[in-house]
Amino acid sequence: MKQSLSALVIGTCILFFMQTPAITQDREEIDVASLGPQVGERIPEFALPDQNGTVQTLESIMGEEGAMIVFHRSADW
Amino acid sequence: MELQERFTELRAQGLGIAAISYDTEEVLADFAQRRGISDVPLLSDDDSAVIRAFGIYNHVAEEGIGDNKDNAAVKADVEKYVSVFGANPMIVGTPFPGTFVVDRDGRVTSRFFEEFYRERNTAANIMLKLGAPLSGISGSTGETPHLDIAASQSNPDITVGSRFHLALDITPKSNMHVYAPGAAELGYRVIDVQLDTPDFIRALPIQYPPSESYYFEPLDERADVFMQPFQLIQEIVVGGSPEAAEQLAQIDVLTLTGRLDYQACDDKVCFNPVSVPLTWTLTVNQLDRERAR
Repeated sequence: MKQSLSALVIGTCILFFMQTPAITQDREEIDVASLGPQVGERIPEFALPDQNGTVQTLESIMGEEGAMIVFHRSADW
Repeated sequence: MELQERFTELRAQGLGIAAISYDTEEVLADFAQRRGISDVPLLSDDDSAVIRAFGIYNHVAEEGIGDNKDNAAVKADVEKYVSVFGANPMIVGTPFPGTFVVDRDGRVTSRFFEEFYRERNTAANIMLKLGAPLSGISGSTGETPHLDIAASQSNPDITVGSRFHLALDITPKSNMHVYAPGAAELGYRVIDVQLDTPDFIRALPIQYPPSESYYFEPLDERADVFMQPFQLIQEIVVGGSPEAAEQLAQIDVLTLTGRLDYQACDDKVCFNPVSVPLTWTLTVNQLDRERAR
């Protein structure tokens, strides 16, 4: 009887933890320094319209020594 | 917009420039017209495809309005990476903001991504870190019996979250030297800058240039000194918190005061320590809250 009760308790606990949403697991810490192309790696190609409707690529914006590409959140807020 | 203001200088350094966001062409056109941006390409990545391709898509913005939005860890990340005011569907699709500097092959040579989304390096600060400083904004000049001093700043104006720098160009007078960090172990007063910063300003440690080794014959000792013209850099971070924004909203001008502390010697004698008062004045730009019509 005791063994059956113990098994029931243990089983209930296991069932509880299995049904617990994943949010109780540890969340991976964000490290922005590790996101995206690192020093030495090539950035992806892109072709995007600018404010005048002209499609720009890395090649079209490139300077004699390279380029600075700024990713910002929005110009509107 | 600083990139527009610095466009000519950045191009003179050989750098092409582009800014990428998830805004539509129409929003960018309106912004460019309002702010007089005639040179810097503002690129529209309105489906965030390029942002995703670069691996910098801000997934926290989606999490902040999703099933796990009430999770404490998610909420903490929302505050740091999305908005100090809480999750907002408007922010879904944005990148973690930052800057890539690439060579002509498209390979990254430097990158600048700040942990707190509201604190951003100014372009002038980035160029300093790349070893290609842009022209500083001249401030006050002065001299002591030992040094000529010129103060300048990377940016004439700042806003919430700006990361910029103050600079001191120092020229020891004839036969004079002052002490570099390595001389502290010999008991010398190392040249230093102390700022009186309000609580919404963080002053990072002073950046010193390489020093020279000087042999002082009277004491038969060798110390690290500055004898040639040199520059001290003081990087400053304007807080990005709502509290900092509230304090900045009350002022139009930010005056930073402090002092340059040093002890100078010539080849025979050391002089009393000196403390020179310093002042930098910056215009405070309030956040642009005008929206595209």
